[in-house]
Amino acid sequence: MTAGPRVLLLPVFALALVTGVLGIQLAHGGASFEPLRPADPCAVRDVSAQASGIEGLSERLVLLGLDGAACRLHVSREALVLGLAQSGPRSPAQLAALRAGLLDAVQKLKDADALPPSSALVDDTLDSSDLNGFVKAAIRAIPDSVINSALPTDDVLTRTIDNLDLHTLLANLDDQQGLNRQLAAAVSHALKDSLTGQLPHLL
Amino acid sequence: MRRAVAPLLTLTVALVLADSAVVTLALPDILVNLHTTVGQVAWVLISFNLVLGLVAVPSAVVFDRAQPRLLTAAGIAVFACASAWCASAGSIEVLVGARCVQALGGAFALLGCLELLVAAYGERRGVATWISAGVAGTAIGPVAGGLLTQAFSWQAIFIVQVPCAALAAPAALAVRAATPYVLPDRHRPALRPNLALALLSAALTAALFLLVLLLVEGWQRSPAAAALTVSVVPVAALAARPLAGLLRPPDEVEVAVGCFLIAGGLVGLAIPPSAELAWTIAPQALVGLGLGLAMDRLTSSALRLRLPRARHAAWTLGARHLGVVLGLALLTPVFTADLRDAQMPAEEAITSLVLDAPLQPQDKVAVARALGEELTSQQGRIPDLHHAFATLDVDPASRPATTTLERDLDDQLERAATHAFRDSFLLGALLAVLALAAVVVPGRRSTR
Repeated sequence: MTAGPRVLLLPVFALALVTGVLGIQLAHGGASFEPLRPADPCAVRDVSAQASGIEGLSERLVLLGLDGAACRLHVSREALVLGLAQSGPRSPAQLAALRAGLLDAVQKLKDADALPPSSALVDDTLDSSDLNGFVKAAIRAIPDSVINSALPTDDVLTRTIDNLDLHTLLANLDDQQGLNRQLAAAVSHALKDSLTGQLPHLL
Repeated sequence: MRRAVAPLLTLTVALVLADSAVVTLALPDILVNLHTTVGQVAWVLISFNLVLGLVAVPSAVVFDRAQPRLLTAAGIAVFACASAWCASAGSIEVLVGARCVQALGGAFALLGCLELLVAAYGERRGVATWISAGVAGTAIGPVAGGLLTQAFSWQAIFIVQVPCAALAAPAALAVRAATPYVLPDRHRPALRPNLALALLSAALTAALFLLVLLLVEGWQRSPAAAALTVSVVPVAALAARPLAGLLRPPDEVEVAVGCFLIAGGLVGLAIPPSAELAWTIAPQALVGLGLGLAMDRLTSSALRLRLPRARHAAWTLGARHLGVVLGLALLTPVFTADLRDAQMPAEEAITSLVLDAPLQPQDKVAVARALGEELTSQQGRIPDLHHAFATLDVDPASRPATTTLERDLDDQLERAATHAFRDSFLLGALLAVLALAAVVVPGRRSTR
């Protein structure tokens, strides 16, 4: 073999090797082996919950609410959660965005016809509420159709969210019992308000 | 004994040059064992290369004026004592000090072994043996260090060097080398080969140092698994000579191709499709092949027909080891900054997976709490989340979902770590391309 082609043998072989290796790696997604990028919180996201009843509804509301709040604050849902999980006071903007996000979440579920009738939630709510036994028994005796018309789910949820002291709630994230007490108080308050508000229509 | 002299001297050359990167896989153990910081433990690697790089040329001057066999034996003895001192070091300061002494003895041992190998084998074979032993030592160092650390402890790396060196010192005294003669500095140091050697050594730091860090710290593999994985480099380096013999390219082409293969291999290491060890094999094979082709030929051309031999060998040692220091100095800040920057995307990815996990709300809270505690306790490191899941108190029905979640979170951490090392590997590839440019870009024509 003459010197000319022989000089090229090794470079051509090396070029083929490097091209082959890099080509195979890129074809298998080599350039995109990166951590998951947070989804756009303003885009519609399907949320599901493993829990049923009021717990499942709360989870879906929180997930949708976080999206709404993050969208308002122009941050990712994950950055907002990590920010809220930090110790120390939360900013008024964070709290306002969170409340607005939760209210939007109620509206979204209502628009999607995904809110359960209030009768489906009433037992769960009564179990954890501080209403006296007589009132609880009286409410349980009411037919579902009456409860559903007396207590529209979206109205109860909206009032609950309005009643929530988000600052205290976020400070209590590590205290499950304190959290439940606070939520139950807000729900009971919302139930009373909703009943009072709906009473003229019922009568 | 006489027959064992040259192999013992060859082994000494490989041992001393392996020491350049031999502790790479032991650094995490040293960090814990000597209660030190990441910044300080890096000096175990830097100090050896820096001292060897700086004292090589001044040591060569001494060889002009003394018996090579005496200096060689003294150098090997100092190296052996310093190795024993490294093994017994109880603090990071002592270990770094011992490594400096080890490098000082190593410089004399390396230069002396070159002279004695030439005396034993003749000029051509002696120089070739010295060069090949150096390339083999450089390539095998991290593998040997990793296996010894896993099998015994980090101290074992230094302990095994003591008997080898103890045997080599009397072997050096047994060689009848030429009497010393003061040669005028007849030839200037070969600028291009030495510059290319320095740049290529800096690039190889990315392959040998960063890859083991990625495997052990980023992908949470054991030192033994990492050592076996990086053994691809020396194996591929061994294949370089037969390949070059088959294709018989000119030396310049061989060096240029070597640099190109190292650059290509480093780009490959920057873009693995997953954290499977198998994806590092082909890029490492490219690096090993490039190492075998380029380092060998560059050292040969820096030494060829240049006298005094020891002085020019010292320039190659200085270039190589200061190149390693340059590589560490350039790459360490880049990958540490990238690791820091990777923390937020990794935390966001973990948060996203936990929020969307098919778990009961109270289990999600329990997982989030356990992960938060684990991430806080492992601040500054790529976290191992297994402890958080192992101690998790969740509904037994949720166990399959938490197992899947743990696997997905580990995947995210591996992705974040791999991504954090990407720029450093690409910077290493750039250094290899600069080495290629130093070889192929036409220089000014000499007027002499």
